[in-house]
Amino acid sequence: MTKLLEIENLHAEVGGNEILKGLDLRVAAGEVHAIMGPNGAGKSTLAKVLSGAEDYVVTGGTIRYADRDLTALSAEQRAAHGIFMGFQYPVEIPGVSNMMFLKAAVNAQRKERGEPEMPANDFLAWVRHRVKQMQMDSAMLSRGVNQGFSGGEKKRNEILQMLVLEPKLMVLDETDSGLDIDALKIVSDGINAMRSPERATILVTHYQRLLDYVQPDFVHVLAGGRIVKTGGADLALELEEKGYGWLQAA
Amino acid sequence: MGNPVINKPAVHASYGEAFACFAGGLDAHDHAARSAAFDEFVQFGLPDNKIERWHYTNLSTLPARAVQLAALPAATDLSRWQLDACDEQIWLNDRRIDGAVPSAVLPTVDTHAGLAGLHRAFARPGLQLDVPANTQLPRPVHALTVSSANAAGEMYHLAHRITLARGAGAIVILQNIGLPGAERFATQSLGIDLADGAQLTLIHVQDESRATTQWLQTSVNIGRDARFDLVNVDLGGKLIRNDWRVKLAAPGAQTELAGLFTADARVHLDNQYEINHAAPHGTSHQYFRGIGFGPSKAVLNGRVVVQPGAQKTDSDQRIANLMLAKGAEINAKPELEIYADDVKCAHGATCGQLDDTAVFYLRTRGVPEAQARALLTYSFINSVLEKIPHAGLRTRIALQITAQLGADLDLSAIGDAA
Repeated sequence: MTKLLEIENLHAEVGGNEILKGLDLRVAAGEVHAIMGPNGAGKSTLAKVLSGAEDYVVTGGTIRYADRDLTALSAEQRAAHGIFMGFQYPVEIPGVSNMMFLKAAVNAQRKERGEPEMPANDFLAWVRHRVKQMQMDSAMLSRGVNQGFSGGEKKRNEILQMLVLEPKLMVLDETDSGLDIDALKIVSDGINAMRSPERATILVTHYQRLLDYVQPDFVHVLAGGRIVKTGGADLALELEEKGYGWLQAA
Repeated sequence: MGNPVINKPAVHASYGEAFACFAGGLDAHDHAARSAAFDEFVQFGLPDNKIERWHYTNLSTLPARAVQLAALPAATDLSRWQLDACDEQIWLNDRRIDGAVPSAVLPTVDTHAGLAGLHRAFARPGLQLDVPANTQLPRPVHALTVSSANAAGEMYHLAHRITLARGAGAIVILQNIGLPGAERFATQSLGIDLADGAQLTLIHVQDESRATTQWLQTSVNIGRDARFDLVNVDLGGKLIRNDWRVKLAAPGAQTELAGLFTADARVHLDNQYEINHAAPHGTSHQYFRGIGFGPSKAVLNGRVVVQPGAQKTDSDQRIANLMLAKGAEINAKPELEIYADDVKCAHGATCGQLDDTAVFYLRTRGVPEAQARALLTYSFINSVLEKIPHAGLRTRIALQITAQLGADLDLSAIGDAA
């Protein structure tokens, strides 16, 4: 079975500092991978590189996504081809309503894929369905994107966008940070709702608690710019207990 | 302030010919007043940049060029600028074309003597709005002034007046459009008097042609507990100078001045705002945003004067500018003169570019870069545009500005929620 994402010997730097130093990762459709690791290991850098941030420069190795060279695609092309990045710190865009934003995103992606625009009524119904699923108030659709939202509301809005856009590869960068237990549950339900044999998820997280709700198939430890250990869901529990020190020594 | 006369360029003979033609049919009293005004113009010329308030803008070379009175252009279809649910009044150059205009007294303008003289000599009546006591106008008044010139040097001069009696309320949209054509020159004045408890919201949209030099002076007198709100949007022109004089003349007067400008195509745009707190318990807020789209020079001077005795004045000023291209120059300057000791006055100015993180955020959702920038520019201008109490006008302006970024925004989803 071909992998949805194949990363080989990836080297990447930002501002002249090499952060990723030979990272290997293979993700097949249907799988959920958790990336854990100490601060500064390169977890967020990996998410940024996958989503196409231009200040993160790939200096070596390959990234293949759905059998194509991912690095040849712009951030917006990656989105249209199914990559979604959930931000650790979602941006506020006052005055641009969530509805306007979602419509711009969906139609731009459809255009890039050569599909017609979604009829306005179908789109509205679709968005409302997803808003309900995320237990949000539909009045939020006319509010500015993340404008005055709490940290938890912003993260919930990230998952709402993901549910509306229906990506193939979801890269969620510390989506669990800043969430109370109730919000964590709703966000996890959103992520689980997207699990399917065609889709894959990469969860970048510091904590085990998200993995209580979203069961990973694989847990990787990223340290010093490389994956230093890979295991199943129980590895996260072991990390929670022992920390990362024992791995870096190895 | 003195009016230097040294080295003043001679006034071109065509001004005198134009005045003779203009004044021919006037009655003796009007003729005398206008002749005196014209003499002031000839004596003092137009302001040059040696005068402090005219530091960035020099009109002194205009009198040396040939002018002629603007002709009444052929009938033009102006329907595309009409606005829904408004009472329309339309001027083409200095002629009202959709109805009669009441005769009006000569405007008083407090500025450079020569400029005031030119305006008073030639001004014809523009909008003349009187709202009786305790009356709210049910619909906004839309005064559309359109400039058009077939021959270089055509000029016209318009004087508007808005008077709200005690407790009256109105929304006025003064929209100034320039049709493409020859080089032209215009002056406009707008005198506003708000009696006690009156409330006026004025939307001024300047979208002049790239061949238009224009000066506008607005003078506002705000009575006790009365309120004046302004949204001033500058989109066009070649050389535009706007003077805004707002006097909080009685206790409890309030004003909010909001402004938005976009400058490119070598436009020269100079807005001088002056708020005069002449009575206690006055409140003034200023909120200005500007965008430099291309080679251009914009000036924004926000002056607040708190007179002796104007205690408990509450004033703040926020200026933010966005520089989207090389060659754009924006000169933003707050000026505070405070002669009372129990007041609250704040100001702040920023100048920057679009947030790269926000551009990236939009791109990760599939929005192409040009459209992402247009959306973020919309976000920037919306904080001013949202103050315009007419959705159709708001959307038009937003589309016009974001189109300058080469992206079509779908603004139909702005309010889609329920």
